[in-house]
Amino acid sequence: MPDVILKNLPFLLNGLWLTIDLSMWSIVLGTLLGLVAGTVRFVRVPVLDTVALVYIEFIRGTPLLVVLFITYFAFPALFGYHTTAYRAAISGFVLFIGAYLAEDFRSGLRAVRPGLIQAGLATGLTRWQVLRHIILPQAVRRVLPSLFNQYVRLIKFTSVASVIGVTELTGAGLLVNARDFHPVTILATIAIVYLVLCIALSMAGRALYAHFAVRT
Amino acid sequence: MNYHFDWTPIWAARGLIAEGLAMTVALSAAALVFSTVIGLIVGGAAAAGSRAARALALAFTETMRNIPLLIHMYIWYMALAFLRLPAFSCAVLGLSLYSGAYVAEVVRAGIGAVGRGQMQAALATGLTRFQAMRYIVYPQALRIIAPSLASLFSQLIKDSSLASVIAVAELTYQAGAIEGQTFRTFEVYITISLIYLVLVTAASQLVLLIPGSRNEAAAGRFADA
Repeated sequence: MPDVILKNLPFLLNGLWLTIDLSMWSIVLGTLLGLVAGTVRFVRVPVLDTVALVYIEFIRGTPLLVVLFITYFAFPALFGYHTTAYRAAISGFVLFIGAYLAEDFRSGLRAVRPGLIQAGLATGLTRWQVLRHIILPQAVRRVLPSLFNQYVRLIKFTSVASVIGVTELTGAGLLVNARDFHPVTILATIAIVYLVLCIALSMAGRALYAHFAVRT
Repeated sequence: MNYHFDWTPIWAARGLIAEGLAMTVALSAAALVFSTVIGLIVGGAAAAGSRAARALALAFTETMRNIPLLIHMYIWYMALAFLRLPAFSCAVLGLSLYSGAYVAEVVRAGIGAVGRGQMQAALATGLTRFQAMRYIVYPQALRIIAPSLASLFSQLIKDSSLASVIAVAELTYQAGAIEGQTFRTFEVYITISLIYLVLVTAASQLVLLIPGSRNEAAAGRFADA
C-alpha cells in the first residue's frame, strides 16, 4: 500500500466507517419513509396522498446537494434550531432516497394482480390485512432490484456529505490530501473502496432477489 | 417559527441566478451529448460486440457508474491537474463518463429487447452489420428506451450541481454565493430547487423528440394504467 495511505490509515478507516454508518441509517430510515409514502400514494389516503405527491415530486426535481443545503442551512434558519452536519446529512439522505423509494414501492404495489386482492377480501380479511399480508410482501419482493439500485446510488451519494463538512470517506480523503498532497493515490484509493462497496451491495441485492423472487 | 421572509435580495440577484442557470444548461447539454455518444457506443458493444468488446464494455460501465460522481469530478480536476483542463471541461468529462455508463446499460437492455430476428432479417437482405445496427436495431431500441433515457437525463441535470464543488459557476454555485452575500438562506435554496424542478420537468419532455417515442410513451402509460 502506498505510504500516504498507510500513514493515514486509521483516519481513512474512520471515514469509511462513517460512510457505512451514514449509509445504514439512511437506508433503514429512507426505506421506512419510502414504504409509508408509497403506500399512502397507492391506497390514496385523502390529504396525505397530496402531501406525499408534493414531497415526492419536489425531491425528485431537486439535486441532492441542494437537499443537503436545505437540511443543513435552510431548515435550521427557517425553524430556528441547531443541527450538526452529520444529522443534516442523514436527514437529507433519508428525504432524498425516500422519495425515489416511494415511487418504486408504489409501482411494485400496483403490479400485484387484482385477483389476489379480491380473493383476500372474499376470504373475509380486512383491507388492512390484505395490504399487510398479501399485497406488501409481494410488492416488496418484486421491487428488491430497484431498492438495491437506490441503495447503491445512496452509498455513492454519501460522498456529497463531505461538501457540508462531514469527514466520511471522501471528506477524510480530501483532508489527507490537503495535508500530504497526493491526489492521484488518494482519489484512486477512495474510488476503489467505493467500487468494492457498491459492487458488493449490488451482488447481495441480486442474491437476495434470486432467493425471494415472486414465482408467477 | 419566527423567520422573517425577505425575497427582495433574491430578485436583486436575478442576474447571477440567470448566469448560473445558463451555465447549468450548457454543462448539462454538453454532458448529455457526450454521455449519449458514450452510451450508444459502449451499450452497442455490450449488446452486439465480440467477446472482448463485451468484456471491455462491462468493465467500463461497472467501473464508471460505481465511482461516486463527486470523486469523478475531483479525479479530473485534482488528480489529473497536470492536464490543466478548465473546470468546465473537467465537469463535462466527469458527468459524461458517469452518466454515459448508465446510458450504456439502458442502451444494452434496449438492444436486447429488439428481437434477434430483426438483426438476422437485416443481414439476410444484404445490409452490413453496421447498417443493420444503424437503420434497423438502434431506431427500434431508442424508441423502447425513451422513458428510461428521459429519467437519466433529468438525473444528469440534477447531478450537474456537483460541478459547484470544483468551482464551476453553475446554479448551485451561484446560490451559495448569493447566500453568502445576503444570508437569505431559505429563500435562495427554495428558489433554485424550484428552478431545477422546472428544468428537469422540461428536459424529461425532450426525449419525446425521438421519432415514434410519443407512441411508446403513450403505450407505457396505457400499460401502467
